[in-house]
Amino acid sequence: MQGLIEFKSVTKTYGAGSSAVHAFGPVSLDIAEGEFISFLGPSGCGKSTLMLMIAGLLEASAGTIRLAGKEVHAPQTDIGIMFQDNTLVPWRTVRGNIELQLEMRGIPVEQHAEHISSLLQSVHLADFADRYPFELSGGMQQRAAFCQAMVHRPKIVLLDEPLGKLDAMTREHIRADLQKLWMQTRSTVIFVTHSIEEAVQLSTKVAVITPRPGKVETVIDIDLPFPRDLKVKGSSAFIRHVREIQEIFHGYGVI
Amino acid sequence: MAMASSDGKGAMTHLIGWVAQSWMFIAFFIGFFLFWEFSIGFFNVPLYILTPPSMIVTKAWADLPRLFAYTYVTGLETILGYMVAIVIALPLGLAIAFSSILRRTIYPFFVTIEMVPKIAFAPIFISWLGFGLLPKVIIVFLVCFFPIVLNAILAFNSLSEELQRFSRSTGAGVWRTFVKIRLPAALPQCFVGFKYAGLNATVGAAIAEFIGSDQGLGFYIQITTGNMRPELAFAGIFFLTAIGLVLFGIITLAERILIPWHISVRRIQA
Repeated sequence: MQGLIEFKSVTKTYGAGSSAVHAFGPVSLDIAEGEFISFLGPSGCGKSTLMLMIAGLLEASAGTIRLAGKEVHAPQTDIGIMFQDNTLVPWRTVRGNIELQLEMRGIPVEQHAEHISSLLQSVHLADFADRYPFELSGGMQQRAAFCQAMVHRPKIVLLDEPLGKLDAMTREHIRADLQKLWMQTRSTVIFVTHSIEEAVQLSTKVAVITPRPGKVETVIDIDLPFPRDLKVKGSSAFIRHVREIQEIFHGYGVI
Repeated sequence: MAMASSDGKGAMTHLIGWVAQSWMFIAFFIGFFLFWEFSIGFFNVPLYILTPPSMIVTKAWADLPRLFAYTYVTGLETILGYMVAIVIALPLGLAIAFSSILRRTIYPFFVTIEMVPKIAFAPIFISWLGFGLLPKVIIVFLVCFFPIVLNAILAFNSLSEELQRFSRSTGAGVWRTFVKIRLPAALPQCFVGFKYAGLNATVGAAIAEFIGSDQGLGFYIQITTGNMRPELAFAGIFFLTAIGLVLFGIITLAERILIPWHISVRRIQA
């Protein structure tokens, strides 16, 4: 079966000649529709770059990426992206920032007022719609950024370490909300992270990426029931997956 | 948002709060003028060297019509030069930020010229263009132009990579991206240039008048000093300062209206 997103011997090299840096590759990977796949790897392994290539925001040095059968060469507009540093602009409120996504696409905002409200509701931000980003905590900002990335109902969602800068408790909380939302929409999600536990908890598949030059070491099926609450996380199957990935990184001397 | 509480009662509490916070500064200010007032007599300073503040006020009061007329002249030079600088420098900064050719030609040229003290051109302009309004406006323009254009280039060049990628991922066109993201993101840095230029505008006008003019506050300060009338020179300086304060007030007001969300504005209102 053909995947929704296909990587075929994709490599990325920075610079040229003898000073060229081989960042990662070759990477070949198929991602099916409706999958929640994590790109899990240490810092600098190129997982964010890989993600941005799907969106057509970065070009591969060699190899091809296909999206629904079509080669990606320009920015893709039917994708929702949450960047490492959120793209909330300081001159707009939370609601205004979500509307920015629609306005940039020329979509009439009024028709989506209810949709925005329900999105805010689902991430517990309903009371903060008229606040400015600087009035929110880091966790709330990420929740708002998540709504911004989702408001145009993208089929594919790219999340680049969305919880990376948050404290452990906030992470845990937002993770649960994220999972609930995904279970409703079942969109295809690429989730970039360096937290093993986070990857195993959220994903249907985990692509384990090696240190530079990054390669997909293995893709692990996480065959656990959703929602993955505390009980699932305490199960021996969950712990076995975590252990397995830890072994891989230990072998590379990363942990 | 933050400007909601500007009713009378709010303003009063604001004032009381300000006095409570700044009493040390106010006391120092009053103390400074008292010291000035009484030390003239105490140290036997001749009045043609320095006069007490009270005398500045009374003598300036008598010469008020002339001071006002000259304030108008210098104020006009300042505002005109400043406005022309903004009107030319802002679009030019934008063009340089987005054109790689201009960035390699005009930009290094401007950076070099920025090193030259613009005021040094003043005698040349006056010899070319005479004693009238035009050479003064040009000198104010020169003083204001560079900070505005250099900050505008910086402003339009420093959009974060994330926001650039976000814009591209939406498929929005150049114009929509400019209006909705680039311009508002650039405004705070632009205002750095506006403010710096605003502080220097009156300096340009005053020095231009020192060099060659028959009216204006710079002319007034020079003439009265030459006539051993320091009290009137100080009055001239006071009015010159007032022009600068009004200009800076207008810029700050514009900043509050245009970028109330920015940290520099929020901090003042907090």
